[in-house]
Amino acid sequence: MTSSTGAAEVDPAEQAAKEAFFAELVEMVGLTGSPKVARDPVNVATVHNWCDAMSEANPRFRAGEVAPPAMLNVWTMPGLLMGEQLPRDMSEPQYQVYTKLDDAGFSSVVAVNSEQVYERYLVPGDVLTQTTTLVDVSPEKATALGVGHFVTTEVAYTDAAGASVGSVFFRVLKFKPGTGRRTTKTDPKRQALLDAGLDPDELMPAKPRPKRPMPQWNQDQAWHWEGLRARELRIQRFTDDGSLLHPPANCNPATQSMDYDYIVASGKATLYSYTVPHYPQIPAFDYPMVVGLVELEEGVRLITNIVGVKPDQLEIGMPLEVCFIDTHDDVTLHQFRPAAPAPRADTLVASAVAVGDRLPLASIPIEPRLIISTALATRDFQDVHHDVAAAKAKGSKDIFMNILTSSGLAARWIGDWAGPDATFRRLKIGLGVPNYPGDTMTMSGSVTEVADDGAITIGFTGTNALGAHITGTAEIVLPDAGATGEGSGA
Amino acid sequence: MKFARETAIVGIGATEFSKNSGRTPMQLATEACIAACADAGVDPKLVNGMSVFSAEKNTEIEVARNLGIPELTFFSMIHHGGGAPGGVVQQAAMAVYTGVADYVLCYRAFNERSWHRFGSGVQGRHQTPEAFDISFSWSSPFGLLTPAQWVAMFATRYMHQYGATSEDFGRVAVADRRHAATNPKAFFYEKPITLEDHQNSRWIAEPLHLLDCCQESDGGQALLITTVDRARDLAQKPAVIAAAAQGVAEDQHMMKSYYRDDITGIPEMGVVARQLWSGSGLGPADIQTATIYDHFTPLVLPQLEEFGFCAPGEAKDFIADGNIEIGGGLPINTNGGQLGEAYIHGMNGIAEGVRQIRGSSVNQVPDVENVLVTAGTAVPTSGLILTQPD
Repeated sequence: MTSSTGAAEVDPAEQAAKEAFFAELVEMVGLTGSPKVARDPVNVATVHNWCDAMSEANPRFRAGEVAPPAMLNVWTMPGLLMGEQLPRDMSEPQYQVYTKLDDAGFSSVVAVNSEQVYERYLVPGDVLTQTTTLVDVSPEKATALGVGHFVTTEVAYTDAAGASVGSVFFRVLKFKPGTGRRTTKTDPKRQALLDAGLDPDELMPAKPRPKRPMPQWNQDQAWHWEGLRARELRIQRFTDDGSLLHPPANCNPATQSMDYDYIVASGKATLYSYTVPHYPQIPAFDYPMVVGLVELEEGVRLITNIVGVKPDQLEIGMPLEVCFIDTHDDVTLHQFRPAAPAPRADTLVASAVAVGDRLPLASIPIEPRLIISTALATRDFQDVHHDVAAAKAKGSKDIFMNILTSSGLAARWIGDWAGPDATFRRLKIGLGVPNYPGDTMTMSGSVTEVADDGAITIGFTGTNALGAHITGTAEIVLPDAGATGEGSGA
Repeated sequence: MKFARETAIVGIGATEFSKNSGRTPMQLATEACIAACADAGVDPKLVNGMSVFSAEKNTEIEVARNLGIPELTFFSMIHHGGGAPGGVVQQAAMAVYTGVADYVLCYRAFNERSWHRFGSGVQGRHQTPEAFDISFSWSSPFGLLTPAQWVAMFATRYMHQYGATSEDFGRVAVADRRHAATNPKAFFYEKPITLEDHQNSRWIAEPLHLLDCCQESDGGQALLITTVDRARDLAQKPAVIAAAAQGVAEDQHMMKSYYRDDITGIPEMGVVARQLWSGSGLGPADIQTATIYDHFTPLVLPQLEEFGFCAPGEAKDFIADGNIEIGGGLPINTNGGQLGEAYIHGMNGIAEGVRQIRGSSVNQVPDVENVLVTAGTAVPTSGLILTQPD
């Protein structure tokens, strides 16, 4: 390989081979596979698994009246057969492309886009048939993940009567592992060691990160800090008049009574004030950081960090909920994150919604249990979603959330805001950075369009500590105000 | 207030103000004290009282040794940093009024830029299980560590409650730097700023920009206090202390009184204001110019409200109308304040009040009868009213 100071030099023979390979791929575009009938009908047990894993509270889904629309892909997922991943059905055009790409070294896969279109909600007993068409294969692209091709399929779903119930556009990137753009510059000192065949990790061990300023306490406040260790937010209560005080004191300022105990706060709070420190930066903290003054629903205020939220999403009065962080061997601190209001019981009416309306922020803690239970609930048994070692072997730092779950969580969040009778027509998402365990994804979005027929479009993002995990739009239909009353049309 | 109009500031002395004095704080303290005595025409050996900040590291006995003071009959310290300057003068005034001392020196000297940077906060502070250290446990572990951050929390709420904006704070920054621009002692001498400069300056702790923050400075400032009777025989026109007061209010914390029903006011400054007005028999209309403590611009606004120059929430309009500038209804910080001249923990602002009484300020306000001087905000605080001699 020759070095170059300008644009990369292209070997003509290599280029010709690439073009020939791409032509073979493109030849398959437009091919349609044979119809595949789902093994099981739409059923309440599978809906329940989904609702449980996604924290989906919509009573229509939970009662088995209809299936969550975002489950459209689930019913025909191949699943595990006797404990084994099913072999690829080579009559399906996408598998022909995937196999060809695998053989050429593009062996890794990541889902990047999904667009679900719903023509009607599914009900228990529906038996779906899917038919897959290869819609597009891109030329070779250099992406952050690696050099690869985008492959787009469209899956059409029909019911037992042959009527269309919906479709899914699905786009994956098939890429060569290890060919991604280097995202961080290698320290020249480390590079020099690498070049000399030495191990920089051994010779230049990373310094442990400094810890946060350590809280100090004595016997007067130990109960508060012991509570945090037990993940309880304890607030001083004077037993003579029941008054609460924070920071705690030695006696009741109103009565001088020294008799006190504590309550365990619910953890529900609102934002009272905040600051975003920029300078000086302390190595113990990740920036941007937010220090908030929150008012607990019990009435007292405390200083804390507001997490899972970008500074420009802060609004005084926004609802928050407590979470906890272990900062030292024997210290746990409270933190607060955006709390979505409880799911709406009555469905929003279209006339009450305007372009620009913001949906309430909602933080979704990304725990291993969420990633694994939702992967199983979406019937996605890819090892990268449940097996840490397998995920690491494929170049991921940990297991990560699957795309059907990202769609499902977005739909749940929008449904919580809109109400149980909102009807989804379309859900389109693109994936960015992965959702790894230990992170928190915060959903945010707003109404971008209100159509004459009551259809509204919502633009949204779900961001985590790495950036935007999910970006998308949803089209839903809300009942109009008149239609909910008995005298509609009068 | 029995000592009202019975005592006076008769000497002021300071070093140059800089970002790197090149000398020790002890040297700065000594120079400032000698200068204050010289200004008053008082032999340092006549000084028999000292009243200083508990934050002062150059102790009164070190200064007394240096100045050859044969005996001290009164020495006192006031806690809470920038809240102390009016308090140390009040101590001095009470001491000379009651006769426990004849001449009392108050001083503050430090290298808070070239040695320990004062704005860096409490991140590395020594921790004990004593109450004062424990009070930081409710904020420091969450990264709320610096004075700018402590003030920012009040500022965000004030903006929310009253619709004030960063530009409203910026107008204080612009006015102070405009005054500094004509003061050769000021860091911002010949360097006025615009509101645009303020808006473009980098964030320190939102909603505070860099230009919302005071200087970190090296320097020393001393004041000499005695009775009005003795003052008649001294070198300068005395700045008579019409009233001096301290204030702590209910549920007071050190720069973090965030737990009161309302946090947009400064109730401890209200305690000071009520005493100053009643003690002096004066009111807002009697004040021609003021030193309004300006470590950070946002807390200038509620001070104007606590003293009744305007109603709560209306300081932004009072400022936007030009009142705080030279030629306005209440020119403030005519030396450039701590935003524009130097941060000497409020002591340089008292010296400017004395100059306004003497008629020797570089930005002299005409026909000055009474000057208000306030001390640090969000801490236990203090204030003075200086007035013309009879």
